[in-house]
Amino acid sequence: MKRFVFTWVFFLSLVFSAWAMPQPQEQVEGMINSVLSVLQQTGLTAEEKKSRVSGRVQGFLNMTSMSERTLGLYWQGATEEQRQHFSDLFVKVLEGTYLNRVNDYSGGTVQYLKQRVKGNKAIIDTKFVSDDLEIPVQYKMIYENDRWQVFDMVIEGVSMIRNYRSSYGEIIRKDGLDGLLALMEQKVFAMQGEHPIQ
Amino acid sequence: MLRFLTSLILLLVFILVAGPLQAVELAAPDVPTVIIPVGQQDDQFDEDFDDDFADDFADEGSFDEILIADPLEGFNRGMFWVNDKLYFYLVKPVAKGYRFIVPRPARVSVGNFFANLLTPIRAANALLQLKFTDFGTEIYRFIVNSTMGIAGLFDPATSLAGVEKVEEDFGQTLGYYGAGHGFYLVLPVLGPSSLRDTTGGMVDTVLDPFRYADLTTMEYLGAKVFKVTNGLSLDKDTYESIVRDSLDPYLFVRAAYAQRRAAQVGKVDYSILTIDGSFLNENNLNPFKWLGM
Repeated sequence: MKRFVFTWVFFLSLVFSAWAMPQPQEQVEGMINSVLSVLQQTGLTAEEKKSRVSGRVQGFLNMTSMSERTLGLYWQGATEEQRQHFSDLFVKVLEGTYLNRVNDYSGGTVQYLKQRVKGNKAIIDTKFVSDDLEIPVQYKMIYENDRWQVFDMVIEGVSMIRNYRSSYGEIIRKDGLDGLLALMEQKVFAMQGEHPIQ
Repeated sequence: MLRFLTSLILLLVFILVAGPLQAVELAAPDVPTVIIPVGQQDDQFDEDFDDDFADDFADEGSFDEILIADPLEGFNRGMFWVNDKLYFYLVKPVAKGYRFIVPRPARVSVGNFFANLLTPIRAANALLQLKFTDFGTEIYRFIVNSTMGIAGLFDPATSLAGVEKVEEDFGQTLGYYGAGHGFYLVLPVLGPSSLRDTTGGMVDTVLDPFRYADLTTMEYLGAKVFKVTNGLSLDKDTYESIVRDSLDPYLFVRAAYAQRRAAQVGKVDYSILTIDGSFLNENNLNPFKWLGM
């Protein structure tokens, strides 16, 4: 009898480890739909769109994981203060970079091709489709703090985080982590000067 | 005159037929989901999945940071600067004027036309890499787009049958047989490249139909510049935003180039056909698929 119960508990835990987590793809769909719904609204200024998109997207991203992966090897050697400083600046750099392009959207939908889950990681394959272009976009997700969150986006085989890691790594080797942070501060300042984000 | 009228009528018929077809909403196929619970094994899945996560599963210390060697960084940065000026002061203004004068559908058609003409390069390289299905795809696309697509101006192979272009070039063929990037190389006017891809690009010109079109050097260059200008006129200022937003645009472009080319060589397969069972379906029309190759 005891063995029977154990078997059941084991079996159930297997099933639940797969089912208890919310589907990662639902998270990605939720994020994309909420962004598209803002972009498709007419009568909003670029600034209004930016602040709405920003507010909606942040919960879907795992910024700690993104920062850690971006610094890679240098994350280990950084002090807690430097890590925090980097994360704060990195969020602003990403916002400045991607939110400035809200007005480039001129229609297009997203197809969900495939989702793969293994342990606490997942890959969602999607395709952005508009009139004359199709762009494969892959979302890499991690399950932490009871939720699936995106930590990388791979567009046509180019991983966003790897791109940042490679170029920031080069800057760190030349100017040190503090040099990178100073450069990022300048960039964020310049971005906010041109396009203030509240 | 008669010929002109006939082609006009053909064009009208095409628009009438193709218009509604394109507007038909395609039912999204159910998304395949693969879930591997912890502790279970599936080797093929594991391999694909881990490939896609490659660097994310790596130990902290072994994060690859150098995506491509760059011994000529000084020269490359100089070239990058020259291209940047060329872009902002010459190519982009021309592309902008062109964009203003020529309506978008015409520019898309021009892009399709050039892409169709360069089929031999893609087909030959698919064959060289023993990718028979891709070779068949290119032949199929060439036939459909050259006839139904009126000499390649339209792309019914993609819009009606969901059969997409296969990007292949000799740089990728070299990569397929194990050649790495070599090192990074920024070419004047042409932009980011590598030792391998520059070599590949030179080999590819052998199959470039423009080379055999009896053009003078100036006309040949003109055609090439026109192709680039047309491509840029359809782009939404990607380069501008990279220059504006990255800490060091040179490093950013280099990393993106290295990643993109590496991905093209070891390509992830995204091609899930949008239409199933249509008579235009590649499965029915591509003989290599009949043979299961």
